[in-house]
Amino acid sequence: MAPLEVRGLTKRFGSTTAVDNLTFAVEAGRITGFLGPNGAGKTTTLRMLLGLVHPTGGEALVDGVPYRKLGDPARTVGAVLEASSYHPNRSGRNHLRVLATAAGIPLARADETLEQVELSAVGGRRVETYSLGMRQRLSVAAALLGEPRLLVLDEPANGLDPEGIRWLRNFLRSFAGGGGTVFISSHVLAEVAQLADEVVIIHKAKLIAHEPLAALTARTAGGTIVRSPEAERLREQLAAAGVEANAADTDELRAAAAPERVGEVAASAGIVLHELRAESASLEEVFLELTGGEHDEAR
Amino acid sequence: MTRLVRAELLKLRTTRLLLWLGLLIMALEVFVIALHVSQDSVSSLAETRNQRDVVSIAAVSALISLILGIVSSAGEFAHGTIGQTFLVAPVRVRVAAAKLLAVAVAGAVLGLVACAFAWGFGALLLWARSVPVHLAAGSSLRLIPGIAVAAAITGALGVGFGALVRRQTGAIVISLVWLLVGEPLLGVAGVERYGPGHVIASVVEAGNQSSDLLGFGAGLAVALVYVAAAGVLGGDVLRRSDIT
Repeated sequence: MAPLEVRGLTKRFGSTTAVDNLTFAVEAGRITGFLGPNGAGKTTTLRMLLGLVHPTGGEALVDGVPYRKLGDPARTVGAVLEASSYHPNRSGRNHLRVLATAAGIPLARADETLEQVELSAVGGRRVETYSLGMRQRLSVAAALLGEPRLLVLDEPANGLDPEGIRWLRNFLRSFAGGGGTVFISSHVLAEVAQLADEVVIIHKAKLIAHEPLAALTARTAGGTIVRSPEAERLREQLAAAGVEANAADTDELRAAAAPERVGEVAASAGIVLHELRAESASLEEVFLELTGGEHDEAR
Repeated sequence: MTRLVRAELLKLRTTRLLLWLGLLIMALEVFVIALHVSQDSVSSLAETRNQRDVVSIAAVSALISLILGIVSSAGEFAHGTIGQTFLVAPVRVRVAAAKLLAVAVAGAVLGLVACAFAWGFGALLLWARSVPVHLAAGSSLRLIPGIAVAAAITGALGVGFGALVRRQTGAIVISLVWLLVGEPLLGVAGVERYGPGHVIASVVEAGNQSSDLLGFGAGLAVALVYVAAAGVLGGDVLRRSDIT
C-alpha cells in the first residue's frame, strides 16, 4: 500500500477548479518532489491529503485511508505547513507541548525534537522573536513529534537562508536515508533536483508528469554529448549516417541520437572518443518545457 | 477527549491572554468598587443589600469570559494555528467540544478570581470607611457560585460563537452590540427575559431574582440551550470548513 495516494482528486472553489482529477501515488522510502507553477494546485492537494480541505471529488489517502480516519495521525504523518501558523506569544517549546498533549505523545518529545532541529537554546523564547528560518525548523520539530515514517512538506524552503536550506536538505536526506518517505512541494527547482528520487508535476490543476527524476530529465532531452580529438571528422561521419550533430566546443559535439548509435558510428570510422554520455536536461529545463514556460519563480 | 481538553487548557495557560483578562477584570472592579464605596453614605453602605451590590461587579467576569471563549476559538483562525490543531486531532467536532469544556473551566476560574478580588478589595474599602462588613451574608455569598457558573457558560458560549463567526474582532463587536442594542429591543416584544444577557444575569443572581429575570433554574436551562445551539452551529462550521 502506498503511503500517499490520490485518486481522481478534484477540488473546486466556486467556479475555479484548483485540482482537476489528479491521480498518483507516492512510493515508500523515497523522496518525491511535488512541482508546479504558483497556483497550479499543490497546496490544495497537500491540504486535501492532510484532511484540511474537503475534496469536491475523488479521494486522498494516507496509508490507505482518508487522513481523518487515521487512528494516530501524528505518529503516521508529520506535516510542515506555512511558517506563520503559530501563536506569537507562545514559546516554541510550549507550542510543541500543546501538540504533543493533543496527540497523546510524551512531553519529553518536545525537547527531543527541539534538539533535533537545533532549537534547544531558544525553545523558551516566544515564537514572535524567531526568525523565519527558526520558525521553519519549529515546523519540522512539530512534524517529528510522533516519530512518523512519512513527512509531507509544503514549500519548506520558502524564506530560508542558504544555511537553512542546507540544513533542511541534509535533514531530509538523513530522514529518507533512515527509510522514511518524504513528499515535498516546492517551486525551488534546484532544491528538488538535488533531493528527489521522483517528481510529480502539476500544471493548471492537472497532472502532467510523474516519473523518476533521472528518467524524466533523460526522456525530455534525448541527445548525446560526445568529446573527441577528431570532433570535425566525427561530425562528418555522423552526418553521413544521417545523424545531425552540432559543435558544442572545439572537441565536443551534441548529437541528435542515442549514445549507442553515436558510439557505433565512431567505432566504425576508427575515431577515438574521450567522452560519450546521454544529454540530460536540468529539472528546470524539463519543468519549463512541460509547463510551457509558466514558471515565474524558478531559482 | 481528555487529552484534547488538557491540550486546550495548556493553550490557555501558555499565552498571556488569561493574565491580561484577569487584570482587566481587576481594573474594572477597582474602578467600580472604589466609586461605589466613596460615593455612598456610611449608613447606606452598612446595609447588607448594598454591600452585595458593591461586590456584584465581579459578574463582569462573565462578559470577559465570553471574550476569552471567542478569542480562543476565532483566534485559532486569526493566528493560523487551526491547521496544526486539526493535523493532530482531525475529528474536528471533538476539538470543538474540548475547547468548549476547557474554556468553561477557565471561565469558572476567572469568575472565582473576580469574586475573590471583589470581596477582598470591597472589604478593605468598607473597613477603611469604618463600615461594618457583611460580605459573608448569605445573599452576598450566593453570588459566588452564580458568577462562576455564569462565567463558565459565557466562556462556552463564546467558543461556539467564535467558531461560527471565525473572526475574533467581528465576534466581539457583534456580542457587545447585541448586549447593548439588540437585547433591549427584545423588550418591545416582552421577551427580554429570554435573551442571552438576561438569562446569564438570572444565573448570576442565583436566588435574588427580580421580576425582570427568569428564576435560577429556568435561566440556567435557557443559557445551556444557547450554549448547545452555539456549540452545535460552531462545530458544524468547523467540520465543514476548508482550512486553506
